[in-house]
Amino acid sequence: MSGQIVVTGLGVISPIGIGVSEFWKAALDGRSGVSAIEGFDPFPMDGYRSKVAGQIHGFAPERYLDSVQAERVDRYAQFALVAAKEALADSGLQMAKENPRRIGVIVGAGMGGMVMGEREITQLYQSQRPHRVHPNFIPVITLNSASGIVAMAHGAKGPNYTISTACSSSAHALGQAMQCIREGRADVVITVGADASITPLVFAGFCSLRALSTKYNDQPERASRPFDRSRDGFVMGEGAGALVLESSAHAKKRKARIYAEVAGYAATSEAYHMVIPREDGEEIAVTMRLAMADAGIATSQIDYINAHATSTSIGDAVEAKAIRQVFRSRADKIAVSATKSLIGHTLGAAGAIGGVATVLGIHTGQIHPTANFEEPDPACDLRGLSASVQERNVKAALLNAFGFGSNNAAVVIKRYAS
Amino acid sequence: MSDPTVTPKIVAALADYLKRDPKTIRPDLHLRDDLGLDSMAVIELLYKIEETFDLQIPDQDLVSLSTVGAVAKYVDQRLAPVKRTASDARRLPAKGKKKN
Repeated sequence: MSGQIVVTGLGVISPIGIGVSEFWKAALDGRSGVSAIEGFDPFPMDGYRSKVAGQIHGFAPERYLDSVQAERVDRYAQFALVAAKEALADSGLQMAKENPRRIGVIVGAGMGGMVMGEREITQLYQSQRPHRVHPNFIPVITLNSASGIVAMAHGAKGPNYTISTACSSSAHALGQAMQCIREGRADVVITVGADASITPLVFAGFCSLRALSTKYNDQPERASRPFDRSRDGFVMGEGAGALVLESSAHAKKRKARIYAEVAGYAATSEAYHMVIPREDGEEIAVTMRLAMADAGIATSQIDYINAHATSTSIGDAVEAKAIRQVFRSRADKIAVSATKSLIGHTLGAAGAIGGVATVLGIHTGQIHPTANFEEPDPACDLRGLSASVQERNVKAALLNAFGFGSNNAAVVIKRYAS
Repeated sequence: MSDPTVTPKIVAALADYLKRDPKTIRPDLHLRDDLGLDSMAVIELLYKIEETFDLQIPDQDLVSLSTVGAVAKYVDQRLAPVKRTASDARRLPAKGKKKN
């Protein structure tokens, strides 16, 4: 055991801003980063049921990364590199002064290198020339390409792996990073969530699942509306979030600024259905309870929940039901917000970006608005939601994340007190 | 019901999906409550029906497709040119443009 595990650095790249300050300013404004997809060159959007997404427009990797590094990895790993670089700089950690074997990298990614993946598969089937498959295809699509390249970029030689549990990937990455330090296997873990798969095939796949919003194709900024009565599905997003986690002893030794403490984590399986949650919310409730038990805190101590809340009809209602089950009447006093209302569902990045928003909520005392929360849904009985900023003195928060394959994660993040 | 082949095709698709005798699949049966299809299974069934009848079924229309008979009636209406509204026509792929 290594005492407390704290957050000392943050990084974000998102549809509402590249860099934490730009992201947080837009988040507090409640600005939606969802826009109309211009098309998947060379074919138009006509055949897609949904036509909107939270995309990062005009991203020029060479502005943030050295060109060789940037060229050899897929878009999601470029995002991971950008977010990790910002988080490390923010933490003030100087790698030259550290034992590199004590610095780990854990990345959560749901889809991975789909940009190159789809392109190479398409080209092979069209050209039927196997010898023209790009030599970098395998390293790029291998799902740990981001955790590998982030470690290489910074010389981090400690534990290095990728967690892929669909939409909860980086919430699990956060929890696993906490456990890794708790078990004494590393002093610092650069924790990242990244995904960039708004690609012709993946987008079509989510359309076919009928999981995406289709009602607001003409008003993209209104499409992602978690907990709102008129929600009709999630909106795909892309991006990355990064958090530098370290033992409090290590952070204190180097006089680092501490944002918050990651205090507890739970991982469970509903063992129920590949894409549908159990409607009674029982499994999600259990997951939240286990995370609080791991953190050693009571339900009465939670002031804020950064909800998974993807904006699907069933998902949001089940999560609200679970929150009600766990917190009963206190649920009305807890501030709840949905980061996906601002940026869409960034899949494997969602837990980490939600984690950054949770840490900033604790650190700044401001909970970002849930955009498009206009009319409460009786099926989502929560009073702590708001389309405006909520000023709260948050002492302890829950970060929820649930993924296809019937898996759930919950992470407890607390205000740090030595 | 203007096209008598619609219902048997839908029943055949359901029987194949559920691995059960087509004779036991009646129009009044509820997809979820009687046949045990969850929302994902309904989506898979409709995917098959879209292919069979060369249709695109928008998400908004899903809520009304609760029974075997409702699906058959819906498909039949969508296929009948006289009843087709302007918005329905837009949903239908133009003939000869289907990509394989």
